[in-house]
Amino acid sequence: MPSATTTEAVPIETAHEDMIHDAQLDYYGKRLATCSSDRTVKVFDVIGGEPLKSSGHTLKGHTGPVWQVAWAHPKFGHILASCSYDGKVLIWGERSQGTADSGWTRVKEHTLHTASVNSVSWAPHELGAMLACASSDGKLSVLTFKDDGQWGADIFNGHAIGCNSVSWAPATQPGSLIHPQQPGVQPSAPFKRFASAGCDNLVKIWGYREDTQSWVEEETLDGHTDWVRDVAWAPNIGLPRSYIATASQDKTVLIWTKDSLTSPWVKTALDPSTASGAPSAAAAGKFPDVVWRVSWSLAGNILAVSCGDGKVTLWKENLRGIWECVSDMSS
Amino acid sequence: MSSIDHHLNLFPPLIQVGHAEQFIQSGKTLLSVQSPLNQSYAVFPSARVASGVEEQPIFFASNESSPSSERRLFIGDTSIIFAALQNLTNTAQSRGQEWCWLHSQETHDVIRKLTLDYVNFTRECWIHTSQTSAQSQGSSQFSGDHYRSLYTCLALFAVLYVPEYGYEDAPVGDDLMEWLNVHFIEPSTEEGDHLSGLDRPWEDETFWPYLVRVTLRGLSKAATFFLATLSTHPSDNLRRLAQRLSPLLQSQPHLQSFEAERDFAYASHRWKDKVKALRIELDSVSESDRHDGIENWWDRLSDIVGILEGRSEVIRRVCEDLGADWREISVSWGVFADARLRRQDLPEVVSQVLDDMPQDPTNLEDMVHAALFSAQLDPWLAAHMADLMQALSLIERDANEDSGLDVRDFYVLGYAQYLHADPALWRITVAYMFSCGEIGVRSADEVLMHVPLKLRFVGSITHGQGEQNGADNLKSGDLAGVIKDINATCYEYQREEVRRTICRIAAQTFVQEKEYGLALSYSSSAEDWPGLGRVVDRVLQEYITAGPEQFTRYVAGIAPSLQALQMQSGAQGIFIHRLMFAVRYAEFHQRLSNQDLQDAAWDLVSMFHDGLTPKSWWAVLLCDSQQLLQHDATLLFPYASACILLQHLEEVIARTDQGSGDEYLRILISKLGSGGTSEALHALQGVRLALAKYFARCTMIGTGGKQILERKFTAAV
Repeated sequence: MPSATTTEAVPIETAHEDMIHDAQLDYYGKRLATCSSDRTVKVFDVIGGEPLKSSGHTLKGHTGPVWQVAWAHPKFGHILASCSYDGKVLIWGERSQGTADSGWTRVKEHTLHTASVNSVSWAPHELGAMLACASSDGKLSVLTFKDDGQWGADIFNGHAIGCNSVSWAPATQPGSLIHPQQPGVQPSAPFKRFASAGCDNLVKIWGYREDTQSWVEEETLDGHTDWVRDVAWAPNIGLPRSYIATASQDKTVLIWTKDSLTSPWVKTALDPSTASGAPSAAAAGKFPDVVWRVSWSLAGNILAVSCGDGKVTLWKENLRGIWECVSDMSS
Repeated sequence: MSSIDHHLNLFPPLIQVGHAEQFIQSGKTLLSVQSPLNQSYAVFPSARVASGVEEQPIFFASNESSPSSERRLFIGDTSIIFAALQNLTNTAQSRGQEWCWLHSQETHDVIRKLTLDYVNFTRECWIHTSQTSAQSQGSSQFSGDHYRSLYTCLALFAVLYVPEYGYEDAPVGDDLMEWLNVHFIEPSTEEGDHLSGLDRPWEDETFWPYLVRVTLRGLSKAATFFLATLSTHPSDNLRRLAQRLSPLLQSQPHLQSFEAERDFAYASHRWKDKVKALRIELDSVSESDRHDGIENWWDRLSDIVGILEGRSEVIRRVCEDLGADWREISVSWGVFADARLRRQDLPEVVSQVLDDMPQDPTNLEDMVHAALFSAQLDPWLAAHMADLMQALSLIERDANEDSGLDVRDFYVLGYAQYLHADPALWRITVAYMFSCGEIGVRSADEVLMHVPLKLRFVGSITHGQGEQNGADNLKSGDLAGVIKDINATCYEYQREEVRRTICRIAAQTFVQEKEYGLALSYSSSAEDWPGLGRVVDRVLQEYITAGPEQFTRYVAGIAPSLQALQMQSGAQGIFIHRLMFAVRYAEFHQRLSNQDLQDAAWDLVSMFHDGLTPKSWWAVLLCDSQQLLQHDATLLFPYASACILLQHLEEVIARTDQGSGDEYLRILISKLGSGGTSEALHALQGVRLALAKYFARCTMIGTGGKQILERKFTAAV
């Protein structure tokens, strides 16, 4: 394959009136939701990388910059969650298309946080419609939507100075596919667990205890030396191992691995100095600037890293188990 | 190994050249989100600080360019060969005889055939692409030359690693020479044509290099032809020697002409003796006659004899003079220097050659690891060669401890990921993924679950006609198009959980479309009984929001499912009951609208009597009964039935008093609108009054109702 030097990227005019903070493609990659400092959320149909003309919907309701949006699994319908500086999490639902009253309406409002809500994340669909939220008030909350339209909220202290991000663990335990269940033994129920990243430089792992009906702090991952900006738990890729990627203000990305349910988390830093074209001045294991975002591909084998130097790099574990930068995108 | 294969620059550029610093200084950066649909990313600038009004574009960029035109054809065709090999290995694995299987002649023959199929396909594709691109200037995604290099690599692979059964340990020189002559043609035909047109060709400066080259390539016909032209050369010695040389070239023994290798070895030995004799004769030519005024013919002829003698230093020097590469030296070695060269000896020879003439090794495994698979060539070649190599036990089967992948799976998955750049190739993509153990299965699951189902008209104006037709089929109740394919694929690879998830998504989509019948079919196909219950609830909701007419129409869509579900053993009771209720309730309204009041009244009571009606609906049914109770012409309810109505009415009112109003009145309240509990109770008071009047009428008219009761129940039994 010849190396591409230029990609035929199609710019999409979002018509947002201020900086975009997040964009998320829906389950099928056919619709794009964006959110902005202009306090709105917009939804576009995207076909073949291009937006359909006049297909955009503008969702108004927040009173501050909107930080993140998240699409629910389509088995729950067309549902979108957004979180904002105004401390609110709004849940939006789409009425069926093709009818006269089609469009997006606000179906729920979550106002239990007292400061900016920075991140929202839907749980794996096997767990039902659940949404985790991280707020600058130091608290984390989990909303549970029931079939009958009712919903419940758990809210608890997460990271003292503020919570930046949340990411759910896959619903099935790693390795459960490799070691088949004994015949006659019920497969274990999907487990509710997520990771949170905070301004206390820590990543915490939370698990739900069915017996006490509460969220319990299970583990703390201590490795960063500054705010942890983002956390991303990798999808279960068929290995008996869990992966978590964290991005930090300290200019590092750490990959945390846990070989089995009982073994400890082991951290490895991504090393951008191995990537060609990297500034030689950069210290090993450090990115040139603050790392903002980390996100896993669907199959969990590629990690996209957004760094403050205006570059997105894609990382993949090679045959020898070493993380390599396989591609980068710059403006 | 630094491995940045791709560096993507956005076009049109977001930032002017030289303004990157400014961009970073402004606190902005680039964020990205991967599309679940393919290997593309949406990229956009962002910042935590507000920046005022400016354009806020989002770019879609892709790491892989999706396969098009001839490439798709190639991918599709070769995936069939891949599937055939998969089939073979799976069958062997399921029989638990993998090892024996691998080493049987039958298997070897099949793998060899499949390898040659790949070789032939790449060859076809090369020819096709070269022709079409010549006609329509570069319309193909990959050049003909690209496929030529695939063809060359695979053909070499076939020669080295997949020989005919029993020939693994046979000399390989002739086969390699054939490969070289097919793929790297030297000297060119034009040179030959030019020389054959001359009266005294030896006077041309290309004559001797040409003659040396054809000798080196074992092209004895061309060599003897031009040796014959020397019959008019002024030198007696040269004329004589050329005449002697020709039969020698023609009589060089080739393995394929012999039954046993021993005979071949013996013949080679005797032939070498004849070459030695010629060398003695050559050496006896006096120094004075070695130059014809144009060229030192003796030196040239000596080189040719030196090649035949298999002198390594001559072969090497000649190749260097001719500008030939390491390939030619290595291959000539196997023909002239060591006619019994084995496949396993080749790496040593090649490594010696490479010491002087560096280039990538013929050791395929190394080439596989280094050159090919660092995406220099084509992920296609990497995957298919690795696949064949594992089947032939040429590469390690052990998975790497960290990545959990063996060599084959790593490259096959890499290829599958490349295919995923085009979502339309999902069938082939998952076929490759499913061949790669648990990790492959997981990836394939994700790809399958994200295949757009095309169940609805999203912005139908902009969609193609074809898609609409597909959707029409779906609407008419056929399991058609994409979802049928996905279902079939899930069955094939036994991915039941994936299939169910997809059915749930389909069900949800159909609920939104108000295609309740289809929603029900998909819920039951997913064995999602609570989901099925929710669909029925939605249909019942239609009664509340849209009224009986719409409701009856929607139930007509779901009624056929009821029969099917009742036949199904696994179906869970409670949700089926709710469905039965919906169907019966719709029948009731149908009768009511047809003025079939007698049967409607009977329906109403039997819904209570059979215990089908959910408590939350009791109050609604009771209100429905009011108009029937007030029917003047006849008494529609037998006395006992009226009593059943009364019992239920009493329970609703009593339980509401005890605080369970929500459970009993919920539906009625939402049907009546804004009035809340008091309005509902008021409505029920109306029913109570109607019932009281009804009982009064019964008393006045006598016991006529009783006969009706008996008639009905006899008929029902």
